Amino acid sequence: MNIPVLASKLYIPVPRTKVVFRPRLIERLNEGLERKLTLVSASAGFGKTTLVSQWAVGCDRAVAWLSLDERDNDLTRFFLHLIAAVQSIAESVGKSAFAAFESSQSPPIESILTVLLNEISALQFKIVLVLDDYHLIDSERIDDALLFLLEHLPPHMHLVIATRENPQLPLGRLRAGGHLTELRDADLRFTPDEAAAFLHQAIGLDLTAGEIAALESRTEGWIAGLQLAALSMQGREDIPGFIRAFSGDNRYIVDYLAEEVLQRQPEPVRRFLLQTSVLDRLHGPLCDAVTGQAEGNVRLSDLEKGNFFIVPLDDRRQWYRYHHLFADVLSAHLKADQPDHIGSLHRRASIWYERHGSADDAIRHALAAEDFTRAADLIEPACPTMAKLRQEAATLRWLKALPDELVRRRPVLSVWYAGALLTLGKSEGVEERLRDAESGLESTADSHERPDVRSASAEKVFVDEVEYRRLPGSTAMYRSALALMTGDVIGAMKYARLVLDLMPKDAYLKRGPASALLGLSSWTSGNLDEAYRLFADGMADVQRGGYISDAIGGTNALADIRIVQGRLRQAMSLYERGLQLAIEHGDPVMRGTADMYVGMGEIHRERNDLQTAMQLLQKSEEQGEHTGFPQYRYRWRVAMARVREAQGDLQSALDLLGEAERFYVGDLFPNVRPVAAMKTKVLIAQGKLREALEWARAHGLTARDELSYLREFEHITLARLLLARFRSDREYSFWHEAIGLLERLRQAAEEGERAGSTIEILILTALAHHMKGDTPAALGPLERALTLAEPEGCFRIFVDEGQPMEILLRAASKRGSAPKEYVRRLLTAFGRTEGKTSAKPAPNHSLREPLSERERDVLRLLGTELSGPDIARELMVSLNTLRTHTKNIYDKLGVNNRRAAVRRSEELDLF
Amino acid sequence: MSETQGSTESRHDGFYEIRMKGHLDARWAYWFEGMSLTRARDGTTVLYGPVTDQAALHGMLRKIRDLGLPLVSVIQKKKGTNP
Repeated sequence: MNIPVLASKLYIPVPRTKVVFRPRLIERLNEGLERKLTLVSASAGFGKTTLVSQWAVGCDRAVAWLSLDERDNDLTRFFLHLIAAVQSIAESVGKSAFAAFESSQSPPIESILTVLLNEISALQFKIVLVLDDYHLIDSERIDDALLFLLEHLPPHMHLVIATRENPQLPLGRLRAGGHLTELRDADLRFTPDEAAAFLHQAIGLDLTAGEIAALESRTEGWIAGLQLAALSMQGREDIPGFIRAFSGDNRYIVDYLAEEVLQRQPEPVRRFLLQTSVLDRLHGPLCDAVTGQAEGNVRLSDLEKGNFFIVPLDDRRQWYRYHHLFADVLSAHLKADQPDHIGSLHRRASIWYERHGSADDAIRHALAAEDFTRAADLIEPACPTMAKLRQEAATLRWLKALPDELVRRRPVLSVWYAGALLTLGKSEGVEERLRDAESGLESTADSHERPDVRSASAEKVFVDEVEYRRLPGSTAMYRSALALMTGDVIGAMKYARLVLDLMPKDAYLKRGPASALLGLSSWTSGNLDEAYRLFADGMADVQRGGYISDAIGGTNALADIRIVQGRLRQAMSLYERGLQLAIEHGDPVMRGTADMYVGMGEIHRERNDLQTAMQLLQKSEEQGEHTGFPQYRYRWRVAMARVREAQGDLQSALDLLGEAERFYVGDLFPNVRPVAAMKTKVLIAQGKLREALEWARAHGLTARDELSYLREFEHITLARLLLARFRSDREYSFWHEAIGLLERLRQAAEEGERAGSTIEILILTALAHHMKGDTPAALGPLERALTLAEPEGCFRIFVDEGQPMEILLRAASKRGSAPKEYVRRLLTAFGRTEGKTSAKPAPNHSLREPLSERERDVLRLLGTELSGPDIARELMVSLNTLRTHTKNIYDKLGVNNRRAAVRRSEELDLF
Repeated sequence: MSETQGSTESRHDGFYEIRMKGHLDARWAYWFEGMSLTRARDGTTVLYGPVTDQAALHGMLRKIRDLGLPLVSVIQKKKGTNP
């Protein structure tokens, strides 16, 4: 589904007739290969194209050629042709770049170009890329992208730009850096010797040195002028007289000479030249249709042989064009001579193109003919294709070229108008167009009921019957998009529902997005099952409609929902299915592939297979950013940060999250795990409570907030923060706030059937009790968390909590009420990921000297997060007394620190 | 609204005088809509007239570029001052 590449644009337009060999310029072009860029910047008619094409065919490097035209001001079209040009000489290049343009949201052009440049770097031979007629490009985005290309140009690639005006590139900098070779007017001008050689070749007549000098001085070495002069001298008797008259005249050379040339042509040739000047490409049968003459192909071939400013566009001499300057002269003459005839010439061209399947050209000529009804009839059926090719900007240009009243009377065109505006990010005027469509619809419905009225107003208001019948659904769809664009989510949902009601089942591309949108809304409000169903339906429709890569991209949303629901296995199979789809359709790599690897990496991380997670993230990176969706750069960094967190490298995790924050793209997906909250979680683990507190303040979070799914993760993080503050300040109010908040969060999560969230909330609840020294109270919530997590194989959600969790799990294991095998596996995860092997105690299961009751109390509290003074306070003893107790305990257990004491006591089952 | 609507016809960036080398035939006046085309004795051609805005001016200059006409001068004139 892409803009078709026109082969004629990639053809090196080598003139068939002999041209003057210009060794001094060829030499400069060859020398230029040592630098990055050759700029051939000269006025019209100085022989730029001829020179460069002549050089290109004799060059010992492979040369890719691209002739630009006005339509290439579209960034996508420009680069598709540029890549196709490079591909024409290096087959291995450009496949991924092409694929990147396929999906409905293309990645940034820089990332596509990076892939392209890497592929070019890998080539075993040197290449040249020529961009001809670059002055037709008037687009800052293309200039910028070209500069990017130039700045990253591999050493064995060279760029040549031929243009009538300096391109918007930092030429001064390039010149100073020695990267630039320039050929300008003064260089391209014919020297007297070249002029003599040229005139000799062109008219086979040897002029005197004086005559040549006169021509050379009158034309100032301007090649187009000399060529016209040569043409007008052909077959002329009195050449000295002609040269005298020409030299003494002040008239614009082209005017003077073109008139001479045209006057000397037989009438049919003259007519042919003038009439075909309305065409931007010349083809025998097309010329016949326009001129009403026969054997246009013979005439074109004769013109080429006669040096008539005609440029071949292919090897087989099927298509030509006039030299741009000559075409301008011809059309000025046509306008002066036959002003009333021009419309009908364009109309004939339009009809020919319509019959030969080129809607684009047919429409262009119908518009030029000012036959607007014809143009409208052609535009209407072309719109769906243009939408598929993402060429809405061109659609809009057509529609704007039509008289507005005409568009407004035609409901299908009005709807396309609205659609094109929306796709281009414009909301202004959309509602007006939709209303036009509806009133058009009503009036035609009226006339259907009253056939008399219908026959009275015979004007056709639509040609595309299918689109016409779908109008109510289409207007609803665009209203929904419009509402979204203006931030009216409720309105967007209302119209999306209407789309599902009005659109037939097989209008996949209209139903799909509406359904997905409703899914996102349900997700935002926390109805996860409904969200999943609607979104999955939407993606299935999008896939049926042929937008495979968008369907793959939707996997991220579906898997995210499943993860919140605690269904890791399903999330995993979603990613696997997405990847499968990408591999089936990807040639070579489908957009979304990189995202699937990130998602799979995330799940492996949660399952504590950090090595596989890293491998998958690496693999994802190898696919290249261009195979990811807009959120890819953000998602990859978050996933990597969490791996680093699991590896205990909190600083790297923070850095990555900081990067992720910069790459976050606001879209319609609810931001249920804001990066700021993820960062805060890491800050808390680092003990940087002041910064964490700053976050809570900035986001206005309190434990008494009303809860919503959208802020669930933030509130869980707030509970975490309160607990950390309790641990550091021993301020019991924090603890109570945390417990209250966690209890409310748990209820909300359970009601919303968000098992994933519930597990984390239960874990924090357990840790809260443990922190206060109340292990029995901790075990209840912990066991519930374990029961929920076991079937899905969650690991990191427990292990990331560190030592307190390890202690609690050991306690749970002792009590025997938790899933034994699972807990055992969890416990091994602690040792492995922290990279420390626990010192094995002596296999002595009884103590030489039993612990006293008081010592047991102390030991139990040593297993919590409480500090020494806190334990003393809790037991209402002095710090000194506590120290004595502790020392005795260590002696009896045969250990010398608190942690070892706790572990030993667990092994001995002392709790 | 009605005020600006009425005056769009006369709203422009002023009058311009564009001089280029070579005598241009009257048929080219079509390309430079609304401008008068005068051939001066020194072998130059002068286009003179109102120019709507900068975009229109650049469009005209581009046309001159495309015809390969050497540009001599572009001068903004006070309204009504004939060259």
